[in-house]
Amino acid sequence: MAAKSYKRLLSLAAFVMPAFILYTLFLLVPTIGGMYYSFTDWNGLNRAYEFIGFANFVEALREDPDFVHSLWFTLKYVMFMLVLQNVFALLLALFIETKFRSKGLFRTVLFMPNMISTIISAFMWTFVFSQVLPQLGERAGLGFLNQSWLGDPGTSFYSILIVSLWNGVGYMMIIYLAALQGVPQSLREAAVIDGARPWQVLRHVTLPMITHAITICLFLTLNGAFKVFEVVYGLTGGGPGRSTQVITLNIYEEAFSNNFRYGYASAKSVILFLVILIFTFIQISITKRREVEA
Amino acid sequence: MMKKKGSVLVGLVLSLALLAGCGSNAQTGTNDGSAAGGEKATSATLKMFIAQPRFKEQYDAHIEKFKAKVKAEKNIDLTVQVEMPNQDNAAQILKTRLASNDAPDLFVIHAINDIPQYSKAGYLADLSDQPFAGKLLDSVKPAVTNSEGQVVAVPLESLSWGYLYNKQIFEENGLTPPATLSEMEAVIAKLNEQNITPFILSYKEAWVPQLFLPLTVGAAIQTEDGMKDFVERMNEDKGSFSEMKSMFDIIDLVNSNGTDRALEVGPDDGAAAFAQGKAAMWLQGPWYADTILKSNPDIDFGVAALPVSENPDASLINLSVSSSMAMYADTKNKELSLEFLNFLLDDQESNVLYEALKFNPIATVHTFKSYPWVDDATAYVQEGKSYQDPRIPQAVKDEVGKALQSYVAGQMDQDAVLKALDKAWKDYNKVNK
Amino acid sequence: MRTGRFSSLLITLALVLASLIAVFPIYLAIINSFKTQGEMFASFTALPTSLRLDNYTEAFARLSMMSSLANSITVSVLGIGGILLCASLAGYKLSRTPGRLSQFIFYLFVASMMVPFHSIMIPLTRMAKELNVQGSIYGLSLIYIGLGVNMAIFLYHGFVKGVPRELEESAHIDGCNEWQTYFRIIFPLLLPITVTIAILDFLWIWNDFLLPLLMLTNADSYTLIISTNKLFGEYNTEWSLVLAALVLTAIPVVLIFMFFQRYIMAGITEGAVKG
Repeated sequence: MAAKSYKRLLSLAAFVMPAFILYTLFLLVPTIGGMYYSFTDWNGLNRAYEFIGFANFVEALREDPDFVHSLWFTLKYVMFMLVLQNVFALLLALFIETKFRSKGLFRTVLFMPNMISTIISAFMWTFVFSQVLPQLGERAGLGFLNQSWLGDPGTSFYSILIVSLWNGVGYMMIIYLAALQGVPQSLREAAVIDGARPWQVLRHVTLPMITHAITICLFLTLNGAFKVFEVVYGLTGGGPGRSTQVITLNIYEEAFSNNFRYGYASAKSVILFLVILIFTFIQISITKRREVEA
Repeated sequence: MMKKKGSVLVGLVLSLALLAGCGSNAQTGTNDGSAAGGEKATSATLKMFIAQPRFKEQYDAHIEKFKAKVKAEKNIDLTVQVEMPNQDNAAQILKTRLASNDAPDLFVIHAINDIPQYSKAGYLADLSDQPFAGKLLDSVKPAVTNSEGQVVAVPLESLSWGYLYNKQIFEENGLTPPATLSEMEAVIAKLNEQNITPFILSYKEAWVPQLFLPLTVGAAIQTEDGMKDFVERMNEDKGSFSEMKSMFDIIDLVNSNGTDRALEVGPDDGAAAFAQGKAAMWLQGPWYADTILKSNPDIDFGVAALPVSENPDASLINLSVSSSMAMYADTKNKELSLEFLNFLLDDQESNVLYEALKFNPIATVHTFKSYPWVDDATAYVQEGKSYQDPRIPQAVKDEVGKALQSYVAGQMDQDAVLKALDKAWKDYNKVNK
Repeated sequence: MRTGRFSSLLITLALVLASLIAVFPIYLAIINSFKTQGEMFASFTALPTSLRLDNYTEAFARLSMMSSLANSITVSVLGIGGILLCASLAGYKLSRTPGRLSQFIFYLFVASMMVPFHSIMIPLTRMAKELNVQGSIYGLSLIYIGLGVNMAIFLYHGFVKGVPRELEESAHIDGCNEWQTYFRIIFPLLLPITVTIAILDFLWIWNDFLLPLLMLTNADSYTLIISTNKLFGEYNTEWSLVLAALVLTAIPVVLIFMFFQRYIMAGITEGAVKG
């Protein structure tokens, strides 16, 4: 009996080892390293630093209004993304599913924005927001186009959202499409023959069969949206002022400009990590329950 | 069929990856070993970090000359790896490299903003007894000297600045650069009359509105009673920016007479707009000369001192040094690195480099004809109307840029801005005790 | 799904509208990349008057297109190949092994997906320096495997649950050992999710910015994105040149996706027939 469990362990090790070694070297150990710095006052430059316990964490949550603001701002962004990105992606996937000849075309076109790096998309959209739309608005007399897309603290949130969605919906759409492929056509046809309306087919046949994809997509959106950086960095740089500063940008600012407080910035990253962990835990436990029900 | 092909392919790829990984290790190993100088034709590699990609051609040309010189004099086949990231990622990359013991041999940092911290952390080599140090102009040397009196960098870009103005527009309207706030108001009124926008506003990047701070603080320290020790007092937590509230006089004047969409215009777009004559003045330094001239080679512009009050003596030119090349204190290529630093101020070649970069003369060896905007500023300096850039901590400069953006966006009022600056300086003191 | 003609039309309309939005900035980038600076500022939306290729030839040279492209391809192929192999092995085994240990390892992988990159940046660079994998694109590929396996394991782990165990059991009875079973039976069945992972990782690695920026010191080993970003810095006011560079950077991705798209279809069809 013991020999068998030993053998099983060995086989587990053999399969998992290649991934685990590289993962440990390049992700696990650096993560632990980052966590270690979060308890120090290291400024990223000096060779000496001191261990200061939880002081960084206390400061971040109690005495740093900019950090707290960025936390709330990110939360707002996450909520919008969670809903909009998945609704759009699922709708587009369902729409594309109904097409036969143009399926490939739409899929390619709609996925196209996702192929472009976020840095480059942000750059292209900066061009659109700051140059093209105002000119269009002026010439076509469409006043609403000619506004301060990136300079107004209120509007720029939506500009960031637009670019994020533009960039991210395709990604999710592909996952939903792959999942929809797995829903047997016959099942849906049967439902239609039974007199189910499209909405009912979706609600009672399709959705339950793709709950796993929904779990994955929600997870990916949640995770990605909390860590959003490049889009905001490229579009507004967190500005004007700090009005569109997301957490990662706040961390970046703390670590590499300002006072170079790398230890403090690491503490903020740990907080971000914990926030994501909690939210993901909640999300997964909810959707998993649904999966089981289905 | 498919499955077999797939797995073979994947296996192959992975083994390749592993092999290749080993190969690269071996290579770097030999590189490190052969870095020191020798008698026969040896090879060496110098790593440089210059975050000014827009000057790539100029630096490359100078490096080529240096390689030829080293080959001729020492028979060393020198390879120079120059890393030129964009300005906005530069600090991050450089600090990551330094922190992970992967420092370049030579790197460019900002004299006023970076030297104190980098020097304190022990990354900068003492260059005081290098030949180049003797050639530096007295007006430049303090900026590249650390608090212990050591020269730690070769200044590249020195600045004498206030704001830029379009000479053609000024001449056509019979205007001269104003010396007081009310003269500035008159200039603005005249320009408005002619339907010329007085100022380009380009506040998308926070460092641009930040420029108000050194100008206003510098002038106040120089001319106002009781302000002389402002920086020292702030460093001891004994001062407050509420003493500086008058800086909003000029800030408001500029902001209410500028181009639209200030917060969406980046400095490069601002340079293009200024070059095309879209406004008469731009709060910027001559470091954008190259970009401006690229956009419109025929533009005639000058540098003038910004009026900050009714005292004409307070319109002063700010003298500063930004990009400067320092040597990593623990470099393994000390000899060649030092030689390169000295070659930057080489008696012959240095003129070519600095002129091509459109930088100001910074050393006695610089005899090239300076640019008109440099001459404008020099005229002020010769009248004694200048001051050395006050050592405001980088953290405070970062803060003022962001705060003034919020001020323009209407999210912060004057008191909030001043309070934020006080806090930033206090935090700086706390962290850098 | 059968739908009425009217709703079918509505759906088409919605898709066309979405496609227009998707394409709009790309279209703008393309048309403006052919213009001169002056022509561009006169109107951003007008078509170019002639097919000037100057911007492209210059961007091509400035990007060191061929070598950057080769570097990007090398990193992507090695990185993705490694991730797929390592993660499918691990994901499969973890999914099939009950018990606390395997669950713990799985959650360790999953939890690490939430680690913000900025917090590991300096320690990671240190580690890379320590292991001497810094500065080369091969070393970079290894790092990508280390950073990418967690999500791939997560996806494989979920997918494997849907693969019936009977297949393995019968293979086992037929005398296959574990590895043979894995490579002959399991891996082919994982094809749909493998393709998905490959695409997602390709997009990540191909477009990644910060990691190569930190790891690659030598211009000879720059990836396409790094070269492009460097070009922004050098020619920041020459929009039309920069736009041409953007288009050049995007072309390989579009081509590769077109290729992959057929592959996806094949993979899915095959999976469907066997399933």
